[in-house]
Amino acid sequence: MDEIKLAALNKNLDRTIIKIGNVSVGEEFFVIAGPCSVESEKQTVETAIAVKKSGAKMLRGGAFKPRTSPYAFQGLGLKGLKILEKAKKETGLPIVTEVIDSRDVTWICEYADVLQIGARNMQNFSLLKEVGKSKKPVLLKRGMHSTLSEWLNCAEYILSEGNPNVILCERGIRTFETYTRNTLDISMVPAVKELTHLPIIVDPSHGTGRLSLIKPMSFAAIAAGVDGLIVEAHIDPRNAKSDKDQQMTPEIFADYMKDINGLYDAVQKIINKPKN
Amino acid sequence: MELEKIRKEIDVIDFQLLKLLNQRMRWGIITRKFKSNVEDKTREKDILKKIEQNSGTLIDADFCKDLFKDIITETKRLQEIGYRIIAFQGEHGAYSEVAAKIWDKEMVSVPCESFSGVFDGVNSGLYEFGIVPVENTLGGVVGQVNDLLMKTDLYVVGAVDLPISHCLLANPGTNHREIRKVYSHSQALAQCKHFLLRNNLEPIAYYDTAGAARMVTEKMLDNSAAIASKLSAELYNLEIIKEKIEDLDRNHTRFLIIAKNKNKKAGNKCSVLFSTTHKAGTLFSVLEIFAKAGINLTRIESMPNQPGNYAFFMDFIGSENDEKVKQVLEKMEKATTDFRFMGCYEEVIG
Repeated sequence: MDEIKLAALNKNLDRTIIKIGNVSVGEEFFVIAGPCSVESEKQTVETAIAVKKSGAKMLRGGAFKPRTSPYAFQGLGLKGLKILEKAKKETGLPIVTEVIDSRDVTWICEYADVLQIGARNMQNFSLLKEVGKSKKPVLLKRGMHSTLSEWLNCAEYILSEGNPNVILCERGIRTFETYTRNTLDISMVPAVKELTHLPIIVDPSHGTGRLSLIKPMSFAAIAAGVDGLIVEAHIDPRNAKSDKDQQMTPEIFADYMKDINGLYDAVQKIINKPKN
Repeated sequence: MELEKIRKEIDVIDFQLLKLLNQRMRWGIITRKFKSNVEDKTREKDILKKIEQNSGTLIDADFCKDLFKDIITETKRLQEIGYRIIAFQGEHGAYSEVAAKIWDKEMVSVPCESFSGVFDGVNSGLYEFGIVPVENTLGGVVGQVNDLLMKTDLYVVGAVDLPISHCLLANPGTNHREIRKVYSHSQALAQCKHFLLRNNLEPIAYYDTAGAARMVTEKMLDNSAAIASKLSAELYNLEIIKEKIEDLDRNHTRFLIIAKNKNKKAGNKCSVLFSTTHKAGTLFSVLEIFAKAGINLTRIESMPNQPGNYAFFMDFIGSENDEKVKQVLEKMEKATTDFRFMGCYEEVIG
């Protein structure tokens, strides 16, 4: 990992802390929640209000969607950004949204608080350079077939352009397993912590693709020392235009938040217990 | 693709027809001021005859006559309502019109080419009211307007303090990635400079903000946008790409509403205009009157009147019915030359 320079853990440097809205990422535990795609103003604003009520600190929502099929819903584009802006106005939640095209970076910066680089674009180097030129925090997802070293090199691209605000996000990798959508690689959490000063969060929604597995894998991530979680929630998942099977209803999300916050507190007690 | 293009042309024509109809109705409302009755049979016959003669070869003459009968009926209905007219300088969608709607949304706003057009129209009784900008927090005093205020006998009957919020507007369906050029008044472009720089947009100066919006619509530009008011987006059928694109949010313009007669109901703010004799301490003695009475001044502006002489605009908090204000005005009249009480009115914060 010799080529990792700016991201590498350094005794003379503090761990990166990024202030987004009223959260200090890297210092306090937080959850980002929201729909997979922005579908309508009603769906987005209602979801935002619901997730905020349960304690989410940021709103996620895709306006530009990278889809496997060109015929699948591609997102509302600029209209989606305007809806996210409205949801932010209603709830005060900072907006996390994906950027898939370097021509969109400055436009998305006008609306969003965090730029997400999706797994499929992790090694889109021109896009990485472009978000590196902006001053917005970047949520860099791990590519579904990328090694840790490749991933950290991508963070290095952003950092070397002058943007120090990088958050890494483990979202599962391709294995021969088919029961889950991806294999969530929790080992990345402590690995990133021992190699870099960057915050890392986990996405158990894409990491498993199964509603029933989201909570247990969130528990695992918390136990491994994750800085935050990003999950999908939708006011009406059955009628969602994408990721129907893995989006939580507001009720499931409220229950989820209660349990993960409980586990987080319990884990902190163990970690902070004075050693005899 | 061809059909889509033709339909776009048709949409533009429909839009122009509607705009012309609106314009016709507004003139109709103004003509009411010249007539004793709403109905004028001779004029109606005259119009229909001309329509019949000029209907062209394609459309049926009877269809045209029926259409105009409907238009005349609607004009008469609008004339009956007895709308009051407020004139503003610029094109529809101008910030002056936005301010006019805040002051009284029931009024019909009529565009004028120049500020003097607004003053002359109010003076002659063509319009009940006029609305003019007097100062902007970033741009300073609107000299032309203050100059006209100095020369007129019209009263100030209201004021609007409007936060200027610029929108980036483009034709519906425009791909934001394709936008390269942005048209607007040079002042609006300057106020959004950083936004334009951040997004690599080329600013192109145009004579008016609303005019730029209209041009983008009429020319069906697909790689250009305009910076104008939200009202312009509605009026010219444009999509708002982004609201509030100004670099600083302390951009306010203050507008005055002028009329031939004084306000019947006193407000909470007064405006006066005066000059002083060319002696040491004369302006100070005027200010002293206010200081001693404990009245708060909200604006003082000097405008060159004659070589070496200045006129002063002064606004202050208070009603002309207050005993304190009455006394101050009396004292002021004695201490100044060319004193004119411009009006007592309510100021609306937009």
